[in-house]
Amino acid sequence: MSAKVFRPDRSYLLRKLHSLSGIVPVGAFLAEHFWSNSTVLVSISKYNETSRELQTIPFRIFAEALMIWLPILYHGCYGIHIWMRGKSNVSDYPWVGNWLYTLQRATGLVAFVYIGWHVYAERFLTHGKSTYGDMERTLQNPYALAFMAVGIVASSFHFGIGIWNFLCKWGLTATVQAQRAAGRLGVLVGLAFSLVGILILVSFRLNWHPFEFYIK
Amino acid sequence: MADKKKVIVRVKRQAGPKQEARWEEFALDWRPSMNVIIALRDIAENPLTRDGQKTTPVSYDSNCLEEICGSCAMVINGKARMACSALIDDLEQPIRIEPLSKFPVVRDLAVDRQFMFESLKRVHAWVPIDGTYDLGEGPRVSPETQEKGYPLSNCITCGSCLEVCPQVNEKNPFIGAAIISQVRLFNMHPTGAMHARERLEALMGPGGIADCANAQNCVQACPKGIPLTESIAEVNRQVWKQALFGWLLG
Repeated sequence: MSAKVFRPDRSYLLRKLHSLSGIVPVGAFLAEHFWSNSTVLVSISKYNETSRELQTIPFRIFAEALMIWLPILYHGCYGIHIWMRGKSNVSDYPWVGNWLYTLQRATGLVAFVYIGWHVYAERFLTHGKSTYGDMERTLQNPYALAFMAVGIVASSFHFGIGIWNFLCKWGLTATVQAQRAAGRLGVLVGLAFSLVGILILVSFRLNWHPFEFYIK
Repeated sequence: MADKKKVIVRVKRQAGPKQEARWEEFALDWRPSMNVIIALRDIAENPLTRDGQKTTPVSYDSNCLEEICGSCAMVINGKARMACSALIDDLEQPIRIEPLSKFPVVRDLAVDRQFMFESLKRVHAWVPIDGTYDLGEGPRVSPETQEKGYPLSNCITCGSCLEVCPQVNEKNPFIGAAIISQVRLFNMHPTGAMHARERLEALMGPGGIADCANAQNCVQACPKGIPLTESIAEVNRQVWKQALFGWLLG
């Protein structure tokens, strides 16, 4: 006699997919994005080279759609759905985890709106051929600069705290000590990503390339 | 004799499940080691509000008075806790006493926690021992499992973890930390483990374990100090392995 195969509820699978998609591919792409953009800290030409390289990958539109746009769209929309079904009570119970729960929703929404604008401005308005000059021009606008800074910090911490959530929710860190370590890791990732992101903005804004001595 | 020290208590009253809620204030005589249950008993003894209006005794559940039956959980000064261990001297006055907000009110502070008992049934939170014939002794439980299981067995189904959980609300029938922790307990028991799969499958349904969003309020609020977040993580791992590899590997 064979046991019948049980199908998990669709909401379970969607929820797990939401959790996973935050790490791979969305989080992974965020890391790649900071990595590639930080080439501006070396030089303008290195930045333009790296951009060109990424803009000329084979099957570009499919790679972008399947590995970046769709996952972000799914993660964002389903995230809002999850948000709507929760009811924050951080004012009654101001514990750290509860704050992180509430912040995770706020940073998620900010990041989602920001990413929408960012993709529109730097991907579509430039027809996928954004260069150092385009970014420099965008960042001359103080509002755009401020919005980018907010977007970077929100995305970084959303990802950092997301790592903590992911490790707990998949049971990869189960003990109290492991979960505490995972929390520290998350905060560290949030801080590190924010720092690198802000340095990149400064680099564009002030034409500052601290690692230029590599190529001189 | 000088004026007796008074204790000011405000109670959220509700005559029935569909009635409007209202607040009543009471001024009670202070006494040493007074707790919220004693205050409610004093009101029952002399049901007069602070301004002298006659009222009815407050309905509430309580039984053991030592934090092991789980029936007297309520919201005291905005926090979910057991009324029996809530000492008046530790509380800021006026003391606000409300029923748990995540369960239907029966009357005053008495709520209907049937949802939790239905949930325990849904996940088969027991070790089946009955058969049509003597099933004999089960496998031995290792001391390590006993040690891990004991704190989990302390759950009193009081509902505090559901009360503080932002994921439990009228839009989201999340099963809650207590029940998930019971799944861990019965899945680690060698005889209970024979039904591990049924329990995990029950948690893959609507309102199941995926609705946990890791706010970790449950573990802070649990009056029994049960490692609920550890249980959720552990059971989460069991569930996704079953969900993912169940159809793949059988």
